[in-house]
Amino acid sequence: MKDTPASMPSERLATFAGLLREHGLTVGVAEQQAMLQAALHFGPLQEKPLQAAWRAIACHSHREWQLWPDVYERFWHPEKLRGGVKVSGQTRPSRNLRQSVQALHDQMDAAQQPNTQAGGQQAAPQTAGDLPAEGIDEHNAGIPRAQGGASRTEALHQRDGQMWLPQELNALQQLARQITAKLQPRPNRRWRLAPRGQRLDLRQTLRRSVAWGGELMQPAWKVKRVEPPRLFILADVSRSMESHAALFLRVARAFALEADARVFVFHTRLAEVTSYMQRDTPAIQEKVNAVTAGFGGGTRIAASLQDFARQHARAQLNRGSRVWVFSDGFDTDEPELLSAAMQEVRARGARITWFHPTRQVPAAAAVQQARRCIERFVPFASLADLAAARHVLH
Amino acid sequence: MATSGLSAQPAAEERLLRERLQASGYLADEDLATTVWLASALQRPLLIEGDAGVGKTALATALAQSQGATLVRLQCFEGLDLAQAAYEWNYGRQLMAIRLNEAETDGAARVREADLFSREYLLERPLLRAISQTGPCVLLIDEIDRADEAFEAFLLEVLSDYQITVPEIGTLCATHIPQVILTSNGTRELSDALRRRCLYHYLDYPTLAREIAIVKSALPQADSHLVEEAVQFVQRLRREDLAKIPGIAETLDWVSALFKLGHNNLPEDMANVLGTLGCLLKTREDRFLMGPDRLRQLVEGRRSVGVAEKGAAQTQVAV
Repeated sequence: MKDTPASMPSERLATFAGLLREHGLTVGVAEQQAMLQAALHFGPLQEKPLQAAWRAIACHSHREWQLWPDVYERFWHPEKLRGGVKVSGQTRPSRNLRQSVQALHDQMDAAQQPNTQAGGQQAAPQTAGDLPAEGIDEHNAGIPRAQGGASRTEALHQRDGQMWLPQELNALQQLARQITAKLQPRPNRRWRLAPRGQRLDLRQTLRRSVAWGGELMQPAWKVKRVEPPRLFILADVSRSMESHAALFLRVARAFALEADARVFVFHTRLAEVTSYMQRDTPAIQEKVNAVTAGFGGGTRIAASLQDFARQHARAQLNRGSRVWVFSDGFDTDEPELLSAAMQEVRARGARITWFHPTRQVPAAAAVQQARRCIERFVPFASLADLAAARHVLH
Repeated sequence: MATSGLSAQPAAEERLLRERLQASGYLADEDLATTVWLASALQRPLLIEGDAGVGKTALATALAQSQGATLVRLQCFEGLDLAQAAYEWNYGRQLMAIRLNEAETDGAARVREADLFSREYLLERPLLRAISQTGPCVLLIDEIDRADEAFEAFLLEVLSDYQITVPEIGTLCATHIPQVILTSNGTRELSDALRRRCLYHYLDYPTLAREIAIVKSALPQADSHLVEEAVQFVQRLRREDLAKIPGIAETLDWVSALFKLGHNNLPEDMANVLGTLGCLLKTREDRFLMGPDRLRQLVEGRRSVGVAEKGAAQTQVAV
């Protein structure tokens, strides 16, 4: 970057605009003209108002607004920056913990890649994430999946939900949106007004005709109203599921935001955490942890399910509602109880999908007995599993 | 570059603008005043974002009041369409004109089609009203993020050229360019096209000194001890993990409530004023979170539970 003091002001401004663009701000010719115009008004010596004016011109969103002081200082007052950071204009030095973690992972992957290619699979597959699930394979051969850490993206997917990068969160949110869109809505007996409906809404048409003195000038149309299905997510957070609980809660959070799902966690008892899922702050995470702190006494899936059907979701559990259970199926209750509880949920018409973190369907006696109430088993140990299963969730 | 119509002394004008805003009861910081001045100088709309209750709408009303301009307000909502935002034909009147014309038998005063589609029969909605103003005008488009994307696209024509096209009449241009202020709460991402046409300002919660000044100017009769302590308390409250962070409007409500209850300073024991906290905390969870103990800590200025206190609480549980 050339920044001799003798250069033209417009040239210097163009260099600054270039730096802004590198930081993701949309600064085109129009913005540069406006900035120059502002500089002419205020004069180069009035720095404070000029800075405010440029900020108003160049920033277009909250993110850019927050980025501004940093970039501005770096360009115009490099002497103020401590530690002798050179103005390279290339990238921001990553002070963000997440970014540095990713940089570390990238380095590790780069170092490991030749090894993995030469030696083939090294780690013994333990969970569904390590091996592709056969049943779902045919549908989507092109989708990247966990294959024992053979590629770079997979390695990131397999970090068991302890640390989430922004792009992963975006991917999860997008996936949740896709799956939500696929959940079949239920037709209702009621109708709703729609400009391109198939049926004439006589009542509304007559009401509208009043404006024209009773002449039917503008017909109103209506279509059948559909209701999106209610989604309930029950996540097992007992001791045996400790390593997967973070992933489960992340996914549950995504669905709570996208599909308005109600989220419950259970170990020896059931608790609703939907309200904590709407916001994402460290304090909220602490609260969820407090609720989910298992007592190590094992899991009472049957009792929790019964509690869920009789108390929490009593009024909303009907035909068309979906119940997703995230659990390994190890139950300390009697095996028959789970089957009975499942039947109770099923009797309301809800459809149950069981997500298990293991590759095989849980072999626990309770789950085996309750098998006929469960519509589908889906292996779910990582985000890639969910992506692979998105075609069967409807 | 066109510099016509702009004053040679922007700094003086900007100070004047700030003083006028202050006279109408809005204390703007320097950056905001600069931006507002620049928006009027460049004749560009100003997009203001920020949390609820930081004074986005109040800025527009104060601006209109300070300049003696007409305030035209368009409140956006889902399903807002052209008929409600820009213009609508007065069908009833048109129909009446036709019927009256039919009643006249001699046929001398035949009404023509062009007569029926003239400005006379056009009902002005906020956007058209703002454009057809002859004097100074502030157009406030409130909560633009609530409107549909289609409406946002329509706004582009209005905001860049200050004109509205009515197919039956033609294009109506503004005789006096209104100062446009758009506000957004960020419930939806606005399109890049709209953002690029506007100047942008993000309004944050005010600093302690500014908020005290705001409350003092709004409630000059309240005791200054009370104002300072209450505002300090609210500022600490904002750092808590609340579902709904109290804005300036809430602070004003609360201080005036305390003032009306006859307090001259913030009582040490918050149990007495627990009832007034409804002014600040608007959800059940927040009320639950802020128990008397936590409030006492906030009044004393401690952020979280101290080590000694935590230990004491644990021993109590153990007992």
